[in-house]
Amino acid sequence: MPMPKGFKSKNGYSTKKTLGGKSYHEISDLMTDQGYKMNHSTARNVFVSSLEKIARDVVKLYDVDADENSINRISKDPRFQDAIVSFMREIEYEKK
Amino acid sequence: MKSSLDLYFKSAGEHKILTREQEVELAKRIEAGDSTARSIMIESNLKLAISIAKKYAKYGGNLEDLIQESNIGLIKAVEKFDWRKGFKFSTYASWWIKQAVTRSLTSNSSQVKIPSHTLSNARKVWKVQKEYRESFGCEPTETEIGEILGLSQKHVRQAFKGIKAKYAKSIDERVGDEGNKTFGDTLPDENAKSLDVILDNEKIRKVIINSLSSLTKREELVLRLRFGISETDEEDNNIYVIKE
Repeated sequence: MPMPKGFKSKNGYSTKKTLGGKSYHEISDLMTDQGYKMNHSTARNVFVSSLEKIARDVVKLYDVDADENSINRISKDPRFQDAIVSFMREIEYEKK
Repeated sequence: MKSSLDLYFKSAGEHKILTREQEVELAKRIEAGDSTARSIMIESNLKLAISIAKKYAKYGGNLEDLIQESNIGLIKAVEKFDWRKGFKFSTYASWWIKQAVTRSLTSNSSQVKIPSHTLSNARKVWKVQKEYRESFGCEPTETEIGEILGLSQKHVRQAFKGIKAKYAKSIDERVGDEGNKTFGDTLPDENAKSLDVILDNEKIRKVIINSLSSLTKREELVLRLRFGISETDEEDNNIYVIKE
């Protein structure tokens, strides 16, 4: 699916390098080893759909009438992903 | 009760101003090594040193320190005065006194070291600005100041910077009547988050925790792997589920 015009130049992409994690190929291999059989495309779809779930709840908080396209765009936004990573790391740190 | 400075002014005022003849006679005795004559010459001109120090006190120095410095200039003038040239001692001494006071102002009165020529220009600029304001009721431009003083725009700008730097304050300087605060303590933190932002963040945090706890194990693992967050020890449970 092509990125909406202007999206890339404005905010860039989140890559495994910027997020500090693994590539979709590596994820699919590791997930398959753990019994969750999937290929790299599925890994990406699962990743995006998980973020969409979170984005949907955040949008609700602000009473914004966002359609699925907007939710999808938010979930792929590197700034949103950065924020989620920060929250997850914070929660992880507090649990320890 | 009178301050020590008032008493000093009073004692300096007790000495009479010397006539030209007296000055020449004392200068001759000083040349011959008479220390009493030297003392009389100094003491008789203390009022001159005080009046010059007072004029320069408005540029930021402590008056008592400036009087000390101007006295040092006066002593130097007494040592170097040549009565044969025919000038009044006060004419000659005022240059030495002014030099001593301005040098002290340059080296001591600012947190930032400013070259003496820049500070000298700054004083001239300050004076021109004051006179211009009084005459025309508005501020002169850099070009106008430059034309009046015969300085280039670069030097006028440097002088302005010198004036600003002279009044620079140390961030650790004690302020207030009790002196229990530093200047830095009174500055607002531009990066401080407002209460609204903090509360907003807390709301978002709760929503995100709820969303994360609703993810399936499969989704959570993918997120963790993509974000590079190590997996929890609790094998079967989503760690974001808030336990009772």
